[in-house]
Amino acid sequence: MTTAAPPPPDLEPVTPHGGRPLPPARTRFGRWLQRRVPVDLEALRYYSNEPVPNHLKHWWWCLGGTPAMLFTVQAATGILLSFYYVPDPSQAYESVRRVSEVVPFGWFLRSIHRWSSNLMIAAVILHMMRVFFTGAYRKPRELNWMIGIGLLGTTFFFGFTGYSLVYEQLSYWGATVAGNLTEAVPLIGTYLARLLRGGEMIGDNTLTRFFILHIGILPALITALLAGHILLFRLHGVTEFEFESARLRGPEEKKTFPFFPDHVMTELIIGIGLAFLLTCLAVIFPAGLAEKANPLLTPAHIKPEWYFFWTFRWLKLTGLTLAVLSIGFFGFLALVWPFIDQAIRRRRPASEISVKIGLAAVCALLVLTVWEAVATH
Amino acid sequence: MTLDQKRMIVASLSFLFLAALLIVAWVEGGKQRLQPKPKPVVGAESGKCLQCHEQKTPVIAEQWKDSRHAQLGVSCYECHRAGEGDRDAFLHEGKTIATVVSPADCGSCHQDLAREFEHSHHSKAAQFIGSLDNVLGEVVEGPLAAANGCWQCHGSTLAFAKEADGSIRRDKTGKPLLDPMTWPNTGIGRVNLDGSRGACSACHSRHAFKKSVARQPEVCGKCHMGPDHPQIEIYEESKHGIAFRTRIAEMNLDSPSWVLGEDYTAAPTCASCHMSATRNQPVTHDVGARISWTLRPVVSKRLENWEKRRESMKDVCHTCHAPDFVAAFYTTFDATVDMWNRKFALPAQKVMDALRARGRLTPTPFDEELEWSFYRLWHHEGRRARMGVSMQGPDYTQWHGFFEVAERFYFDFIPKAREAAHGDPEVARVIKASLDSPEHAWLKGMSPEERARIDAFYRERYGAEAAR
Repeated sequence: MTTAAPPPPDLEPVTPHGGRPLPPARTRFGRWLQRRVPVDLEALRYYSNEPVPNHLKHWWWCLGGTPAMLFTVQAATGILLSFYYVPDPSQAYESVRRVSEVVPFGWFLRSIHRWSSNLMIAAVILHMMRVFFTGAYRKPRELNWMIGIGLLGTTFFFGFTGYSLVYEQLSYWGATVAGNLTEAVPLIGTYLARLLRGGEMIGDNTLTRFFILHIGILPALITALLAGHILLFRLHGVTEFEFESARLRGPEEKKTFPFFPDHVMTELIIGIGLAFLLTCLAVIFPAGLAEKANPLLTPAHIKPEWYFFWTFRWLKLTGLTLAVLSIGFFGFLALVWPFIDQAIRRRRPASEISVKIGLAAVCALLVLTVWEAVATH
Repeated sequence: MTLDQKRMIVASLSFLFLAALLIVAWVEGGKQRLQPKPKPVVGAESGKCLQCHEQKTPVIAEQWKDSRHAQLGVSCYECHRAGEGDRDAFLHEGKTIATVVSPADCGSCHQDLAREFEHSHHSKAAQFIGSLDNVLGEVVEGPLAAANGCWQCHGSTLAFAKEADGSIRRDKTGKPLLDPMTWPNTGIGRVNLDGSRGACSACHSRHAFKKSVARQPEVCGKCHMGPDHPQIEIYEESKHGIAFRTRIAEMNLDSPSWVLGEDYTAAPTCASCHMSATRNQPVTHDVGARISWTLRPVVSKRLENWEKRRESMKDVCHTCHAPDFVAAFYTTFDATVDMWNRKFALPAQKVMDALRARGRLTPTPFDEELEWSFYRLWHHEGRRARMGVSMQGPDYTQWHGFFEVAERFYFDFIPKAREAAHGDPEVARVIKASLDSPEHAWLKGMSPEERARIDAFYRERYGAEAAR
């Protein structure tokens, strides 16, 4: 009895740990690589190329990818800026000035970083509004909504630590107000503020801590949250909606379209469009540099970046402790909203109360923001 | 939207993005092109000067190239040009020039500044010649001490070097030579050959003529220092000086406009208070325009128009300090100067006058120890105390000031005056009357209660041992 000769070693099927045997790659190099990186390309192709619901052809359904793209811009420009930035109160401002005035293309990188941060915050807010008003946070996506709230908070914290590093008047006094707000947190406020500032007041330690937060801790946190966000999004798939226009066209029309190349092309358009927009903004409105931080000179009007205007106005209206407690409370409500919404809908399935509350919240935030923007004190 | 349409959009956007990046590169290129210093503009008459002096005196040439003058085409000949009839004119490489540039020359462009300077105390600094200071420097110490010391700040009276026959000494090219005793000299009150007074380069060091140099306290400190007028040391001791040294990088010293409260807020320098612009008054080159007391003579006096002068200074103070703060400072400042006058200056002056009137002193100044004692009392220690308080230097007001004044007055001047009086009853009466005022009552001894209070304090603070 003769037995068949075994195949040459590099043609033996590769079986990933705990998986099924993989069909051998066609080329010799492919097979060499397959042994070292035993990835099931078929499965990968399947998972990464699932059909996408038709409603993603609407542009405003693509806002989720926008912050992720802007985050990569932030990471790339941020790394380059950190080559020159010195996180020391006596040198920080001058190092930013040097980046803006002396370092080749420094002004461009800094302007892109600044504009991208603003666009990122705007995109995150718009994305959250879209998710909220379309009810895409509902079961089984409650946890992903909560991760999204975490991403929103992290993005705000990124913005705050970022403009604090410039060490201009806004940085110093904005950080002072933020420190006071933190101190007003019941029970742990004093310790939290000391941890944030590295002392009783803004000083040498504060800038180092903000720098470590901005380039180390927050990027790690946002990467982890983003990974979790995308993973859950992929596992659940895109929320399916049926638009009135699609229903009218009849059931014979396909309800999905291919991820590749169709949707990728849409994302590419957004990506290149953003790159173009950022470049134009950087050239036309380059990031300036206001007066250097002066701990002895309190500015007549302390204003943070636009995305914190509503908190400042709320603070002025309610006072320190009430503002901190109410913002914390609203934050908590936003975090657990999917469960509150679920409880409401269990009793009244047709209730649109979420939309009404959402509209009221957005209007309130807009009013507070515009109020603070136009107010002189 | 079809896939082809999307491809078209991607291609169009990519093209636009590329174009935007090219604009970025163009902007960056423009920035790089701006980096080199602007090229100096050499006046038509000065090309040859520069060509030669770049080789012979390269530092001067480079300093000039770095100046604002160079950007505006004010070059060698524009400043060193001389008229045929000028006393110090000479022909040099085909041009009639003069070595010394006087305020009259600078004033041909900077008329207002020259006029202000002409009215200032600075321009009269060389007029100390004939005073006791001058006798001390030129006669008692020796002429070279005066030429290399006093005159370097006060200014010399420029003169030509002379031949044995009295004619002006010239070098082989015919250039008239200046008397080495009088030149080089950048004293602030230099008397120039054209009759003008002063040297702009005393503060605006040549040949870069940087405003930033004149705004630095050090430039004033070249002369306003030492035992008799230690303004720079007092400034360095004061909060103003500490703030300046700490935050010098924020002083915006190179700014064309330098208005306190607008162009800089970090600290004031000498120039800020005495000369520079505020939001309410322009810069002045009359350095005494904001000074209300003269702290220089034996007995301090309020200057003519002192109220107006004081308001000008208060305007500077008010840029940083509240009116109450400034008013309180001036209250104690005035009272301290009054105390100096009443307690030490007037009594000492009366004693000296009495000694002279009674023929107890020779007419020759500084030939008796008492005169040195009196001179140190008012000219050194008394000025230190008064200037210390005027510029908020606590140590110069007290330990380097009134402490040494008191020691000098009670234990050097008065004993020496008694000795010089040789028992003259009139002088003795003046001395007694001088010491009879309540300020000197402590000399008569402390009461047992006062002594006991001090002992109790020492016992409580430092222990029984210290009280002994």
